[in-house]
Parts: sequence; C-alpha cells; structure tokens
Amino acid sequence: MYVSDIDMLSPRSLQECLYLLENEKASFRLLAGGTDAVVRMKEGKWQHDCWLNLKNIDELKFIAIEKDEIHIGPLTTHQEIISSPLLRDHADVLVQACREVGAAQMQNMGTIGGNIGTASPAGDTIPALFVLGAIIELTSLTGKRHICAEDFFIGPGKTVAFPNEIITKISFKIRGKHDLGIFQKLGPRKAQSISIVNVAISLSMKEGTRECTGGRIAFGSVGPVVLRAKKCEAMLALGELSPDMIANISRVAWKEVMPISDIRASASYRRDMASALLERGLYRLMKRWADDERKPF
Amino acid sequence: MKTIDFFINGTEISITCSPSKTLLDVLREDAGLTGSKECCGKGECGSCTVSLNGLPVCSCLLLAGQVHGQNIVTVEGIGTPENMDPIQQAFIDEGATQCGYCTPGLIVSARSYLNSIGHLPGLDEIKQALGGNLCRCTGYTKILKAVQTAAQRLLTFREL
Ligand SMILES: Cc1cc2nc3c(=O)[nH]c(=O)nc-3n(C[C@H](O)[C@H](O)[C@H](O)COP(=O)(O)OP(=O)(O)OC[C@H]3O[C@@H](n4cnc5c(N)ncnc54)[C@H](O)[C@@H]3O)c2cc1C
Ligand code: FES
Ligand code: FES
Repeated sequence: MYVSDIDMLSPRSLQECLYLLENEKASFRLLAGGTDAVVRMKEGKWQHDCWLNLKNIDELKFIAIEKDEIHIGPLTTHQEIISSPLLRDHADVLVQACREVGAAQMQNMGTIGGNIGTASPAGDTIPALFVLGAIIELTSLTGKRHICAEDFFIGPGKTVAFPNEIITKISFKIRGKHDLGIFQKLGPRKAQSISIVNVAISLSMKEGTRECTGGRIAFGSVGPVVLRAKKCEAMLALGELSPDMIANISRVAWKEVMPISDIRASASYRRDMASALLERGLYRLMKRWADDERKPF
Repeated sequence: MKTIDFFINGTEISITCSPSKTLLDVLREDAGLTGSKECCGKGECGSCTVSLNGLPVCSCLLLAGQVHGQNIVTVEGIGTPENMDPIQQAFIDEGATQCGYCTPGLIVSARSYLNSIGHLPGLDEIKQALGGNLCRCTGYTKILKAVQTAAQRLLTFREL
C-alpha cells in the first residue's frame, strides 16, 4: 500500500467525527499534530484507509477554569500550554513538561491529546498528568467515560480507549497556594530528544516550614507505563524535607523503578538517573519554596 | 486525490494531490518552491521548517489535507535576492551558511522567533529558539551571531 492511497476526512464538529468513526467502513486513524502519527505512516507501520483530521474541530481546543477545576482540550498544543498564564499559575508541572517536548516546531504542532494517544512510556506530559491527578474524558457516539490518568495507560502504545472513542478533555483540580511542582528530564540532546528518564513531582507544603503534608512522584521511561513511586511518596510526609531526607527518598527511588535496557540507555544507568533526577527535583522545589516564602530555613 | 486551497507566501493557490502527501513534497513538487529542504523527514532536523499561521513547523510532518485554508510562509516568502530580509542579509554578512542545506529552515525559524520578541536576545535564548534546527557545517557560532545582528538591525529600524 502506498502512503498516497491514504485518504483524509476533516470533520468540522466532534459529533460529525464520532459519527464517521462509528459508521464508516474504512479503517481510520486520528490525526492531530501528526508529529507521531505521520512518522508512523512514513515508517510503514500504519496502513489504514483514511485519516480523521481533528485539526478543524474548534470545540476540542480550549484551556478553561471552572470553579476549582481546569479543563484542557486535547487539541491544545504544547506551545499553547506553555504560554497560558492560567496554567503557569495552577499547573506549573505540566507547563514545564510541555517545555521539554521536542523543540519549537514540535511544540507548535504537537498536542496534549496526541501525547496521551501515543501512550509512550517516555511521553513527557504523562508523568505531569499523573501527579496532577488528571482525569481523561473519552467520548463516543453513545456516551462519555472519565478515566483517571493512572488507569488510562496499559502498556507501551496501549490505552483503555476503544477504537470508536476520542479523547475530548483533560481535567484536574487547581493547585493551592502551598502546592508546587516540577518536571525533570534527562535526554541525549537538549532539544528534540526522547526522555531516557523523566520525573514529575508535586508537593503540598505546610506554611512556614520545610514540612510536606503529602505529594506525588511519577517516573517516565522506567517501565512499560509511567509509574507512581508510592514508597517514595510515603516518605515525603515523614518529617522535614532536609537534605538527608531527600537523599534517603532518592535511594528508595533507585529500587522502586523498573527500567529496561534499550538503545537509549541501560537499566542500571536509568536507575541511577531516576534517583539523581528525583534528588535534584526535590532540592530545587525546596529552594523555590524557601525563596517564595522569603524565609531562610 | 483532493483539491487543497491555501495561501503560500500571501498568494492563494489550489493544488490537486493526495491529502496524505506531505506539505514539503507539495511545496517542492507541485508549487515549484524548492527552498525548503528534506533531510531527515521525521521532525528532527528542521531543514523543512515553514511558518504555519505565523508559527514554525516541520513541513515534512504536515500533511497536505491539513493545510486547507491555512497560511504558509516559506523561505521564498521571507525575502527575495533583490529585496532581502534583514535576517537573510545578516546570514550573508556573518558568513552563517556553508553547504546551505539547513539555511532555509533556519531563516524561517529565526524570522518567526524575531517576530515574537522585542528585545536583543542573548545567545542562550537564541539556542533555545533554534534548538529544532540542525546544521552539520558551521558549528553554529556564526548562525547565532547572524541572528543577533539581525535582531540588532530590526530593533534599530523599529526605533527610527
Ligand atoms: C522530532 C520529535 C521530537 C519529539 N520529542 C518529544 C519529546 O521530547 N517528548 C515527548 O513526549 N514527545 C516527543 N515527540 C512526540 C510527539 O511530538 C508528541 O507525543 C506529541 O504530543 C504528539 O502530538 P500530535 O498532536 O502530533 O499527535 P499525532 O501524531 O497527531 O497523534 C498521536 C497519536 O494520538 C492519537 N490521537 C491524537 N489525538 C487524539 C484524540 N483527541 N483522541 C484520541 N487519540 C488521539 C493519534 O491517533 C495517534 O495515535 C517528538 C516527536 C518528534 C517527531
Ligand atoms: S526534514 Fe523535516 S525535520 Fe528534517
Ligand atoms: S550550512 Fe551545511 S548544514 Fe548548515
């Protein structure tokens, strides 16, 4: 089959798109920014009859706040997330993750829905969505499902979405004044590189102290899906996040991740780096917390 | 086959092709604009960079069916040999081009970047903005210098 045989339909509304997905006989692939999908097509991995181009569906592009929840449309590009003042205030960890995706060209083309849809264990927005406790909305002609980000991915490139479903919304609670987050990534090159290891951290701090009341840590590229480091998380609230405590937590991360060796890095290097990135991330967060509070600890 | 109408460098054109053809191939084969180059064909090198509605994107990963009704600017639309853009002039003045394969993409990226800022950028800022464009010849020093020179000239021009 030639690439030139693949047709394209560009629905104008979500309803029209869902209808095509359900009723047309052709085999479809959804196309957003194309930065993953077109590469797959060129590699000959995808031989479908028709693209469903989502780019004209304006109702899937939004960043909105409603009461204490933030909603992001799947067609929102990484660049739009980076430049949103709302997200900068309320979802710093996601903004930082999007900054790490590819370079300018990829940030202008690539979308958050596409990053989720690709479901790479190294996808940069995914750990951020884990620590934000994001909910992913799937819509089909017959209804909607809301799935917690952590339950959404079941393996490399595999999600719980059915072929007739589209990601239509990503939502999470806004962060409070004492919440702060960070995203750290190690890649072979500064721009355009796939993560060897990445980590997203979010902490809820107790005012005026170095004590953390709870937090989440999610590692990417160290297992078949992004994983929460629950043992490390449990240690966050044990006492002051002193340099010793941070070093201890990072040592536990070394054991908790389950990386494999592949062309990008060996498993043991990944373990070391997971631990180092977590340690660095926690230090940086504590530094920021101290600066924000303008109180020397 | 589909008919796709869009704007290239300000002129509306209508092209009949497979909607899965890349914009890069459409530009080079159907529109006769061979400035944009294909190098890696998968988003890594930026030699195919064009501006889509003002933002730099890789035309090797953009499909023709997706650009219907959109505004594309290629290196040819930034300036002509007779009437060069300050960024193009700066590349020549600073000797920022050798084999030239990366140059059209760099010019488009750099021009979009300069449009988006109003100050003289530092080297780190320029490196960040051009991170998606690879060059195998120059070693980048002169490219960075050229972008700074162009920024300086554009700022002086704006102040006049
Ligand atoms: C050079 C290069 C560098 C890259 N660097 C990084 C990086 O540093 N970090 C990183 O995480 N990624 C990186 N990527 C991968 C890619 O850019 C991102 O994953 C991007 O977010 C994908 O978005 P897209 O809109 O281009 O998706 P597309 O390619 O259009 O789609 C990707 C997949 O998601 C599906 N999909 C899209 N939208 C929806 C939807 N609404 N509902 C259901 N399914 C949907 C598609 O069917 C497809 O399977 C890179 C890619 C390239 C080419
Ligand atoms: S040819 Fe498009 S990025 Fe290399
Ligand atoms: S001048 Fe040859 S690749 Fe840049």
